[in-house]
Amino acid sequence: MDKLASLLHTSPATAWMVVKVIIVFSAVMLLASVWTWVERRGSAMIQDRIGPNRAALFGKIRIIGLAQLLADGIKFFFKEDLVPAEANKGLFWLAPFLAFVPALMGFAIIPFGRSFVSGGVTYHLSVLDPGNGMGMLYPLAIGGMAVYGVLVAAWSSNNKWSILGGMRASATMVSYEIGISLAVIAIFMSANGYDPSDVIKAQGHTPWTWFVVRQPLGFLVFFTCMFAETNRLPFDFAEGESEIVAGFNTEYGSMKFSLLALAEYSHLMTASALIATLYFGGWQVPFVKDPTVMLSVASFVLKLLFFAWVFVWVRWTLPRFRYDQLMHLGWKVMLPLSMANLVFHAWRMSQGH
Amino acid sequence: MGVIVKKVELTWLDRTYVWPVLQGMAITFGHFIRNLFTTTPNRYTVQYPEMKREIPDGYRGLHELKRFEGGEIKCVACFMCQEACPARCISIEAEEFSDLNITQGFQEKRPAKFSIDMLRCICCGMCEEACPKDAIWLRKDYELAAYDRLSMQYGKWDLMNTYSDADGKAHINQDPTPSVPRRTIAL
Ligand code: SF4
Ligand code: SF4
Repeated sequence: MDKLASLLHTSPATAWMVVKVIIVFSAVMLLASVWTWVERRGSAMIQDRIGPNRAALFGKIRIIGLAQLLADGIKFFFKEDLVPAEANKGLFWLAPFLAFVPALMGFAIIPFGRSFVSGGVTYHLSVLDPGNGMGMLYPLAIGGMAVYGVLVAAWSSNNKWSILGGMRASATMVSYEIGISLAVIAIFMSANGYDPSDVIKAQGHTPWTWFVVRQPLGFLVFFTCMFAETNRLPFDFAEGESEIVAGFNTEYGSMKFSLLALAEYSHLMTASALIATLYFGGWQVPFVKDPTVMLSVASFVLKLLFFAWVFVWVRWTLPRFRYDQLMHLGWKVMLPLSMANLVFHAWRMSQGH
Repeated sequence: MGVIVKKVELTWLDRTYVWPVLQGMAITFGHFIRNLFTTTPNRYTVQYPEMKREIPDGYRGLHELKRFEGGEIKCVACFMCQEACPARCISIEAEEFSDLNITQGFQEKRPAKFSIDMLRCICCGMCEEACPKDAIWLRKDYELAAYDRLSMQYGKWDLMNTYSDADGKAHINQDPTPSVPRRTIAL
């Protein structure tokens, strides 16, 4: 690290930061794009279909259809980039980035491995070092920003169907964010801090001390709300082919559309990372007290991938909700449940547990 | 007559919504695992160009003009099929012919030209029904795509499965459902 830093004429801290940023964000983006393929193949298998397996490199190397990613990328790249005549041009251009950047930024706080000491310097495996004062509030705040991407995309395209989709998405997010925050507050109380390192330390290395076991109700609420937050089925009200043409992205095509799609999957990755960190012990390895750095990273990545898969799995299992059912669920079920969870844990803490 | 729809009584476990969701996820995961460990040819989907389904008997595809054992065409150009065809896609031109071996010296009819416009044909099989001589059959060919409209006009020799070899000699194709397009003779 020091050699690299002196090579780049920066301090080791800066170099480490740059390396972290590059690794984390490129990994998330790569995973997000691979997940578009996982989603298609996985859904095909769930529904006894085949899925995209024909795209091949040089017409020969099929690699179980992974070349589809490349084909899709190339296709999107060379498609005509249309902007509707009556659209708000500036915002129309900005919207995909507004959707994509918050989805990635939320990941910055997540520790994806154990901190380690090398040469007297502590290296933290998260883009933002612990103790920065933002803690887990940061991804939640950024996640709340993500709705702007959808809403701006919908509004700027000057299309009735788009705006309907955008409005529905924003209403969903607003209602479910309350459930999320109340569930998370219960965790902060139990963990005695809202820094991710505190949360992870409070969970320990035994699976039965993880928050999923200690606060199953909170987990249920948080997990459900994450589906609404990421705009995934069964709560994907930003889109809806049978109701509002395509939804908030009706007017989008070419790279802008693919960026919106990628934003959804990056959001999914961030959401899985949040679930893994808050409820499944983050990088903790079950039954291993002090895991090596590599082992902790592997453990985190495995958890992340598992939850990302659960998102896909649930999507192809459950039918969509109706909009009023969604609101009903959000306000009349999720909110009281998370409230009850919070009060229960507050009471338990007051009893000295 | 009204039908009383029986309402499904949900147990409290079903009402929680969580348990049924888990059950549903178990089902989908079962499908996923089963498909994950099934090779592509063994799945339900037929991977079409590489794999083909067995065509059932009675399938109505491209026509065939039948021959006698001697190789002469059975059709007597009676125009019944042309009349019966609801899509009006058969056009026949008759000619007289006489051959000592086949017609014992009598004058008989046979088609000089017999063409079917496969772009208009609806493969209904009415021509087959109408034919008094059992001379026109529908066989199992279904891959009838072509690059231009003209090649969808099937002529007499096409319908009789006769194609010219590379050296110009005619040969009769026996394969009832070819996997490659085999139109080589012009109208
Ligand atoms: S199959 Fe039907 S449409 Fe086709 S040629 Fe025969 S009668 Fe006409
Ligand atoms: S194919 Fe049959 S029906 Fe048609 S003209 Fe020939 S003999 Fe008559």
